[in-house]
Amino acid sequence: MSFNPVATEPIGAYFSGRRTRLYSILWLSIALVAVMLLATSIGSVHIPLLTTFRILLAKLPLLDIPQTWQSSIGTIVLEIRLPRVILAGLVGAALATAGATYQGLFRNPLADPYLIGVAQGASLGAVIGFLLPMTWHNLGFNIIPLLAFTGALVATAAVYGLARVGKSVPVTTLILAGVALGALLGSIVSYLIISSGEKMHGIIFWLMGSFSLSQWSEIGVVLPYVAVGTAFIIIFARVLNVMQLDEEQAQQLGVNVERLKLILLAAATLITAASVSFVGTIGFVGIITPHAVRLIWGADHRFLLPLSVLTGAIFMILADLVARTVLAPTEIPIGVITAICGAPFFLYLLRRRKKAIF
Amino acid sequence: MKSKLYWIYIICLVSAIALVFSASCASPTESTLTSPTEITDQLGRTVALDKPPQRIISLAPSNTEILYALGLADRVVAVTDYCNYPSEAEEKPTIGGFSTPSIEEIVALSPDLILATSIHETKIIPQLEGKGLTVLALNPKTIDSVLEAILLTGKVAGVEENAAELVDGMRQRIKAVTDRTTSLPPEQRPRVFYIVWHDPLKTAGSGTLQNELIQKAGGTNLARELADYANISLEVVVRDNPEVIIAGVGHGSGQDQTFQYAQAEPRLRDTDARRNSRLYAIDSDLTSRPGPRIVEGLEKLAQFIHPELFK
Repeated sequence: MSFNPVATEPIGAYFSGRRTRLYSILWLSIALVAVMLLATSIGSVHIPLLTTFRILLAKLPLLDIPQTWQSSIGTIVLEIRLPRVILAGLVGAALATAGATYQGLFRNPLADPYLIGVAQGASLGAVIGFLLPMTWHNLGFNIIPLLAFTGALVATAAVYGLARVGKSVPVTTLILAGVALGALLGSIVSYLIISSGEKMHGIIFWLMGSFSLSQWSEIGVVLPYVAVGTAFIIIFARVLNVMQLDEEQAQQLGVNVERLKLILLAAATLITAASVSFVGTIGFVGIITPHAVRLIWGADHRFLLPLSVLTGAIFMILADLVARTVLAPTEIPIGVITAICGAPFFLYLLRRRKKAIF
Repeated sequence: MKSKLYWIYIICLVSAIALVFSASCASPTESTLTSPTEITDQLGRTVALDKPPQRIISLAPSNTEILYALGLADRVVAVTDYCNYPSEAEEKPTIGGFSTPSIEEIVALSPDLILATSIHETKIIPQLEGKGLTVLALNPKTIDSVLEAILLTGKVAGVEENAAELVDGMRQRIKAVTDRTTSLPPEQRPRVFYIVWHDPLKTAGSGTLQNELIQKAGGTNLARELADYANISLEVVVRDNPEVIIAGVGHGSGQDQTFQYAQAEPRLRDTDARRNSRLYAIDSDLTSRPGPRIVEGLEKLAQFIHPELFK
């Protein structure tokens, strides 16, 4: 089976495995575009598939398509659904990549993007934002994403600082510091929620995550972080492979382990924080997607990472599609959907595996 | 062994004496009991009252407004943290939140009537009754049942005349609005989008007071097919193209985020409401609180929806 660690594969099998995985990347890219089109054409307002395509094509340069649809339908497709679908894809890709990075870096199958304090830091920032007096909400921009982003970065930096032992940052200490600080921040968040009175509903909804009011401007903010961060991480895929041996051996093979850890943690934290800041802490995508990819295509990070990007994006777009259509015209928080789909799938993988997938 | 028995005798004796005393203390009050009046409250519970209550605790802002409108301010001993109208009510001691009142504080104030609502039905009311307290529940979900709640409270408190006068005045004001709006044909009833909250976008569907108020004020509620307070997707709002957008503001803390959202949301810019600048903000306490000020809410909505009829 192709689950074997790369190093022990025979050369021939390696190259054929490589070709299948390259084809998989191609097919998944096509699937992603198809899913995006599908998700853009479905919503609580019925718009025929053909009309959706015409509206989208009319936006492309060089094509001249006469407008036969009402302008409100155009607004729905181009300004409500499309940004929402793209943001969902970006966030799914970012969380899956961050999850794969953390799992690889910590050599721990339970690692997810929120392992070292990102979620709790972002939540605390957001909740503080919700509780700030009105004057803070009239600054001309939305203060909540800014505070969530800052909270996530500060919390992770604090965890990293706390876990530092001399010059190195042992992985176990990092995880423990993350869990402990996370619990502390989490309890502060719980207390603030309880005492938040009538703002409680908005806060809880944010914590469960939603793409409901996604706009192009949000994509403009999230995209640079996710694109740069993800590209950065993929560049280091080979080194992540070496890291799977163990830190000492990696060091002997010429990897500057501590610097790599810092770079990858920073990149993964940035893309997670950027995603979480607008849409809330969506769970399960970051932990499930890399595992599923690893199970199907193997543990080589050079393929695991790009495949996670595509799979994460597809999964999140579909989950959001379910979230907004099942009980239309009302919406279910996306976190509920990812957990309902993700948890059973995870348990299935856990029962199915014959040997350790990690 | 012997001394142990001796102690047991003493304990029995003391408790027997205590029992006799407590019984003899209790009997005189019982003998003065007149036959209590039985009243059915708005949750269908039967409540027995022997005399008009003098120490009333309100467990809801709407109940507080009713008590004050009936001139019972002096008899109110405590309200909730959310009771902000009339402003004198804010000076009363509070017994905690609306859905989370403190049982201890309530008991400590020894009220002879507690005015509750349906949200207290499963947990709070049984606890209070278990402590021997009298609880009357008001549960107005429509304008008519608000009027009934006022009459019921008036009857229980022995101020039927005040209640009848208040309700008559309210009925006249309601009629002044509905006389002009009931005959409006559907095409003259503007599509109204009522924003309860903006993130997530929440509106008021059928079964809410806002829905009834919009209809009585001569509008068509965009969300009339949704039940209760419901999340609504922006694309449905864009498709249905509201002619009037009303944002409920306040929520007790003077916030107008919902109204700002209605003004700023880029994707609502092509709706008739935005093109014709027909965006309005209303104090949500006037439209969501089932108390005497509901008529004020109705009049305001009527002015927003039909400025040509109500100047």
